[in-house]
Amino acid sequence: MRALRTVLLLALSALLLNACMEVRAWERGYLARDEMAWDPDVLESALNDHIFFSKEASSGGNSAAGGGCGCN
Amino acid sequence: MKFIKKSQALALLAVGAMSTSALAVEEGEQAPVFDLPSIYADQAAISTASLEGKTVYVDFWASWCAPCLTSLPLYNDLYHKYKDQGLEIVAINVDNPIEDGLDFLEDTPLDFLIPADPDGEAAELFEVIGMPTSYLIEPDGTVTLVHMGFRSGDIEIIEEAIQASLAAN
Repeated sequence: MRALRTVLLLALSALLLNACMEVRAWERGYLARDEMAWDPDVLESALNDHIFFSKEASSGGNSAAGGGCGCN
Repeated sequence: MKFIKKSQALALLAVGAMSTSALAVEEGEQAPVFDLPSIYADQAAISTASLEGKTVYVDFWASWCAPCLTSLPLYNDLYHKYKDQGLEIVAINVDNPIEDGLDFLEDTPLDFLIPADPDGEAAELFEVIGMPTSYLIEPDGTVTLVHMGFRSGDIEIIEEAIQASLAAN
């Protein structure tokens, strides 16, 4: 039983190694692809953000472009 | 409790083993030897052996790297200015697929050598840690300049190093 738990723990620890995979400098093109963006549709998310801060009278704190100057 | 410690130690060891990588090529060291196909299907392969005896400027670039795209036309000017004095520019493209790199080259024709390295073999040899990174290599294979990034004013620094190298050889 103890051996089984050890093996299980080791297997789980090994799974954590996935996070250690390094993206090398020349592989960053994969991260630059459209499908890697947080928002699938930039226009739509900008519109949603606009509606949100119009309704809530709040701006910023999301990923829409802008320097927080309140000038948009 | 004991077996948790044991497994944690093993996991740490594994992490340590994975994170050890060779050190990046630095100034004063010998440049790695590479042999890569040209990005153009109708051109010959490009290897260190074929560049022997020349001052070589090796640059790693990709179409998704904005500063790289700024630098390349400027390197083309440098190439035309100094090629008669023995300068060779080798701009290694790391795009995968290489068609991304070819798309850029269609709009911006470049006259120096452009090898394709979609699997990052040469980039791995040079241990490139940022894009773009370029290396000025003397005819004897010594790296005299490692330049990372590309900002305004950088081309002057690079040109000075190239001039110094050409004057010394």
